[in-house]
Order: sequence, then C-alpha cells, then structure tokens
Amino acid sequence: MRPLDENETTQVFEKLFKFVGSNLKNIVENPSHEGPDPNPGRYCFRLQKNRVYYVSESLVKRATNIKRENLVSLGTQIGKFTKTGKFQLTIQSLNLLAANAKHKVWLKPTSEMSFLYGNNVLKGGLGRITENINPNDGVVVFSMSDMPLGFGVAAKSTQDCRKMDPNGIVVIHQADIGEYLRMEDEL
Amino acid sequence: MRCGKHLSQKCWYIAHDEVKKELTAEEANEKKKYRLAELGTALLVDPESNIKSLREMLQIAKDGDHSIVILGLKSLLAVFKDILPGYRIRLPTEKEQQMLVSKAVKKTRLYESTLLTAYKAFVQKLIALEEQAVYKRVAMRCICTLLEAVPHFNFRDNLLVAVVKGISSQDDVVRKLCCATVKSLFEHEGKHGGEATVEAVKMIAELVKVHNCQLHPDSIDVFMSLSFDEDLGKPESSEVDNKTKMKNSKKKRKLVEPNKLPASENKRSRQEIISKTREEVKADYKAASFAQDVAERRRMQSDTLSAVFQTFFRILKHAMQSLASSMGESFSLPLLAPCLNGIGKFSHIIDLDFMADLMNYLRKLAGAGSQKNDSHHLTVSERLQCCIVAFKVMKNNLEALNVDLQEFFVQLYGLILEYRPGRDKGEVLAEALKIMLCDDRQHDTQRAAAFVKRLATFSLSFGSAESMAALVTLRHLLHKNAKCRNLLENDAGGGSVSGGIAKYNPYATDPGLSGALASVLWELNLLTKHYHPAVSTMASSISTMNTVGNQVSHSNISPQQAFVQLSHEHESFIPASNTKKTSNKRKKGCRLSFPISSASKDELMTLADENAVRNKLSEHFLILDNIVENERLRTELYCTNMSLKLCEQYRKQKKRIR
Repeated sequence: MRPLDENETTQVFEKLFKFVGSNLKNIVENPSHEGPDPNPGRYCFRLQKNRVYYVSESLVKRATNIKRENLVSLGTQIGKFTKTGKFQLTIQSLNLLAANAKHKVWLKPTSEMSFLYGNNVLKGGLGRITENINPNDGVVVFSMSDMPLGFGVAAKSTQDCRKMDPNGIVVIHQADIGEYLRMEDEL
Repeated sequence: MRCGKHLSQKCWYIAHDEVKKELTAEEANEKKKYRLAELGTALLVDPESNIKSLREMLQIAKDGDHSIVILGLKSLLAVFKDILPGYRIRLPTEKEQQMLVSKAVKKTRLYESTLLTAYKAFVQKLIALEEQAVYKRVAMRCICTLLEAVPHFNFRDNLLVAVVKGISSQDDVVRKLCCATVKSLFEHEGKHGGEATVEAVKMIAELVKVHNCQLHPDSIDVFMSLSFDEDLGKPESSEVDNKTKMKNSKKKRKLVEPNKLPASENKRSRQEIISKTREEVKADYKAASFAQDVAERRRMQSDTLSAVFQTFFRILKHAMQSLASSMGESFSLPLLAPCLNGIGKFSHIIDLDFMADLMNYLRKLAGAGSQKNDSHHLTVSERLQCCIVAFKVMKNNLEALNVDLQEFFVQLYGLILEYRPGRDKGEVLAEALKIMLCDDRQHDTQRAAAFVKRLATFSLSFGSAESMAALVTLRHLLHKNAKCRNLLENDAGGGSVSGGIAKYNPYATDPGLSGALASVLWELNLLTKHYHPAVSTMASSISTMNTVGNQVSHSNISPQQAFVQLSHEHESFIPASNTKKTSNKRKKGCRLSFPISSASKDELMTLADENAVRNKLSEHFLILDNIVENERLRTELYCTNMSLKLCEQYRKQKKRIR
C-alpha cells in the first residue's frame, strides 16, 4: 500500500470532478468518525495492487501492520488503474459518488432492468433529469425511489434532451450495480 | 397739476375699461357656453344636417379662456363619441369623385368628409394641448375616452402614441388613465380586430427600449391583461394534422376512384362544377364578411407574443447587467417584479428554444444576493419570485422533459434563512413553499429532510403566521417522504437510515449535503407550547404522526392560506380578558396622548397592556431601589457605629493611662 503520487492523484481527482464538481472538497475533507481516536481524522486515497481505495487515516495506520502480500483490500475501493496507466472508476465508488453528485438522472421503473443489464439510458426511459447538464459530464443514475443504480457519461445536454426522439441515448453506461452479479469475478 | 389730473383721469379710464372688459368677458363666456350646448344637442339630434356646426364648436374651443377651452373639449368629446360611425371612413379617390353618383351618395360623402376633417382637427388639438401642463389631464382624459370608445376609427395610431407615452408618466392620474385604457384595449379585442393590440404592444416594447428599463411598473403590468389562444405555442400540430388529413384523403381517393370508373363522365364533370361554384361562393362570402381569418389572427397573436417576450428578456438582461456591472452604485429595477409575473403567466406558450436562456437568467438572478458585497443584490422577495417563476415555467412545460431544478432548491434553502418578517413579504415566501415543496411530486430524501429540519428551525423564530405556513409545509413533506419520519424519533445520529452523512451540519448551503437525516426535530416539542393554539395543535399532531397511524382528518390547507389566516387572526387573537383592559384604558384615557387610529383593536390592547406593564415595572423597580438604598444606609450605620465604639474605647484607654 502506498499513497498516490502527483500524476495518479491528478487523474483520480479529474475523474471524480466530472461527477461531483465542487463537492470534491467534501470528499477530500470529510471528517471520519471511525476508530478510537478522539480527533476525527480525514479520508485519504491509497493505492494497493493497482486499485485505489478511499480510507480513513485511522484505518490506514492500522493497516500498515499487515504485510503487503497479505493485504487484500481496505476501506472502499473507488477505481483501478489499467495496464496502460489510465484510471477508471468502478462500481464500488457508487455510494461516494451518489452522495455528492451534481448531475443526476432518475429512471422510470420500466427501464431500470434494462440499465441494470448494462444498456445505455434512452430518452423514453427517463423520469427526471437535473438541469444544466453538459455533454461528457459524469451523471449518476437513480431509480425513482432514489436508490442509486449506477453511473455514466451524459451524451447530450439537458436542453437537447428535450427535443430528442424517445429512442435517443441520454446517458452512456459506465457502471451499474448489476455488475456485482454479472462480473463477480472481475471486481 | 394738469398732467397729474390727466394721469389720474387716464387711470380712471383704464380701470373703467378693464372693469368693462371683465364684465363683457363674463357675458361673452356665458354666451359661448350656451352656444356650445346648443350646437352639441343639435348635432346629437341630427348629425347629418348639422355637421357644419362642428367647425363652429372647434372655433370656440380655440378661445383664449382656460375654462372655455376645457368645456369646448369636453363637449366635442361627448359629441364625437356618439356620432362617430362603426366603420373606418375612407375618403373617395380621384376616380370615384369623378363618377356620377346619386344625391344620397353625395350627401353621405360630404357628411363623411366634414366629419373626418373636424375629427382630425380635434385630435391634433388634443395632442398639441397635451404638451401644456394646464390642459394635460383634460386632454389625456379625452384621448383615452376616444381610444376606448372608437378604437377602430381613423387616426387611432396618433391616439395610441399619445396614450402609450402616458403610461409611464410621473403624474399618477394620467398614468392610471392610460393604463386603464390600454388594458381595456387588450381585453376588448372585438372592437378593433386585434391590430391595435399588436401596435400597442410594439410601442410599449419600444418605450422600454428607449428608456432603458427605467419605467414605472404599471407600464408592464398592462401585459397581464393580454390573452392568447390556447394553442398558440403548438403551430406544428395543425400542420401535422393537415398532412395526415391530406394523406388520408389521398388514400381514400385512390381507393374510391377505381370504384368510380364505371360512373358516367357527365356526373363527374357536374360534381366538379358544383364544387367549384361552392368554393367561389365561399371566397365571396369571406371577402364580404368581417369575420377574421384564423391564420391572420394567429399571425397577429404570435407578433404580439414575440414583442411581449422581447420586452421581458430585455428587462431580464438589463437586470443582470446592472447586477454584474454596478460597483457600489445604487440602481433600481422597477420593472423586474411585473416582468416576472408576466413570465409566470405566459410560461405555457414560451418557445422551447428560449427556455434554456430564460432558466439561465432566472438562475443567475436568484443567486444574485448571495454574494458578500452588499452593494448589488436583489431583495429576498425578488429572488423568491425568480424561484417561483422558474418552477411555474418548468411545470407548464412538463411534456417536454421533467427537469429537476436543483439550483433553485439550493437558493430557496438559503432564502429561508435570510427572510425577515418586516422587510420581506411573507405571502411570497408562502407561495414559494407551496410551489416548490408541496406541489412537487418527487424529492431526494436527504433534501426533503434538510428542508424539514430548516423549516422547523424557521418556525421557532418568527410570528405565528410564518410558523403556521412552515408547519403546514413540514407536515406535507413528512407525509410524502416516509423515510424522513425518523426525524421524529429520538434517535440522534440517524442510525442506519441517515444516508451517507453522519452528522447534521446546520450551516450547509446545499440541502443534499446537510445530513439532516441524522438530526431530530426537537423544535416540535417547543412548538407544542406555543402561545397560539393553532400552532401548538399542529405541532403536536405532527409529532405524533408516526404513532397514531393514518389520520384522515388532515385539513389540506396550503401554506399560503395558513399564512393569510393567521396574519388576519393575529389582530383579533388575544386571550379573553379583552374587555377588562379596554375599560381600564377608558379610565386612563386622557393620559395617553397617542393618536389612536380607528383601525385595530390590537393597538388598543397593546396600549392598555403597556400601561399596566409600566405600572407594574415601576412598582418593581421602586422596591428594588428601596432595597439598595436600605443596604447602603445600613452599611453607613454600621460604619458610624464602629467608629463611635472605637472612639469610646480610645477615651477609656486614655482615662486609664491618666
């Protein structure tokens, strides 16, 4: 386990910024109430075996006691670095993203299953959408009962969405909670 | 000496002359008044033969004397109102004048031309007199009455120009007259066939542009009387319908034709002739009748609508620019409030393309006050109005897309804290609460909980009217969002239902990140002890919402109604010992020299209360004073006693020594 270096930190923050915007400050400076220490520490990012984890500092201190080969995972995984060195967010970061998301999309009950199988979100399946979305913004997908289902990238702005026909793609799928079942081995 | 006598004689003559002149002037005035009355009645009785007397009346109205001119104008107004025909007069062209016509036609032509020239002179005189301050009101009144009565007649444009100039005048009477006229023009479109509306609206837009949006709000308020056809915003549907109709008819024809082949050719040609003649008759009928073509009407209405929205956008842009650019200078946005009202009213016909721009502007305006530098910001009421309008626009365009206006919720969250009861309008806040929180169907749980908690805090801080409005909204929100009800449980920290955030942050600006699901509504406990019985019963019913199950007897009043009810009740709500105190007040009546307005008992009550309170307080403080005095004296006494004792001891000792 090691902390991220400059390059890696920039990449992680850029990806997160696409989804949470100015709430990135909340993620980085969130006081953590874990552990027996009286002073709440903060959360930080650590890299272990090409996977990036979001951990509280108290937990990190204790995790240094475990050998590197034996350490499987710590805190919450938010993404991983591919072989070519690019950073990708994985589905385990959904809770963190959903709590701080700026751009949200709610799906109608009929099209939830389609999204959970890995398909893109079409306009006909859209229940609600936050205003002010620009193309290539990170969007978190919710069900109508406010349960986060996954996230993706916006294909069109909100204004264009109004005029689209019902079969146009609104959000390009990136990750959904159905992956826990479909891609159990790869997570 | 002689010249002195001469001079005095001259003076006497001059004085005599003047007196004579005055006498004769008075007589002349009387004569003129009679003449005016005579001519007027003659004209009303038989306009056609007495038409030339109009000229004489105009002549009288050009007199030097002030009151005669006013009388002349008024009588001319009355005459014209009655005799002007219901159609526009078109003077005959050269060609027509050369044609041989019957006596009757000649007579009518003469009548019409005299009428028209007299009317023209009258209108010109009115417009000239309007400039002079002495005749301003009278002239304006005449112009307005003419425009209201005969908006279809010639010279309407000149009248309209004068009226539109007057809708922003500094003089209250003139302005109210002109606004009333313009409103009646808009409402009674049947009289003038819609053209006057278009022209008036375009002129008002021009006026706003020229004055750079610094006009009186009444001038934009007149737009609220406009009305448009319901389907003005959907021009494509009729075209689509036409296309499908044509397709259907073509299909039908194709199907029908092979069946018709065996029919004789004669029949077909006869049918064609019949349909052709029918069309010709239709065209003739249309040309002759005064019924308006649907397409024409639609075109005029879209022109009006585009002019109206042009004005609104100009006002919004101006507001944004003044906010962005002014550094410490004060500026005024008088037109912003009626502009927002108008946008709210016409939001269902706005074009989708403009919607993005409009929402942008509204978002920036709503956020304008949140900066630290106080030099440029909008009042809380104006910002609330922006949020309300944004929601109305969104609601009216739901079939396009259901957009979640997150930014406006953030603004409302902040505005609830910034509200101050004296300075800002409570009705606007209640309306905002209703539209944004009660009417909305779906809410983020964290956001709803944040609003619940903040509304509870809010209702503790202000009077019963605002508390009631907030509590009504609160109950509504708790009803809709079942997960928020764990705020009613005494479970600080929220447990597992608290969402991502473990601790409540009361100063958070974003409701979604406040962590309100982890808080507890202890304010309800305090509110159950509120002095107003309605507020306390409401608070106790909310706090038992979880345990009592679904109560059917919830009265569904909106926050606005609650606010209005309690702000009226406030005056008459005082506990029962009303009469005693008023009788007290009568006894001590003369002492209170405040001017007591006849308005509310409330003031009487507070005055009587004040008196009693003052007495009690004075008693209390007297006692306190006495106690302090007492202590002081006692300490003095003690000191003197001590010093006396010391003296004695000293003397005794001295004696012993001796």
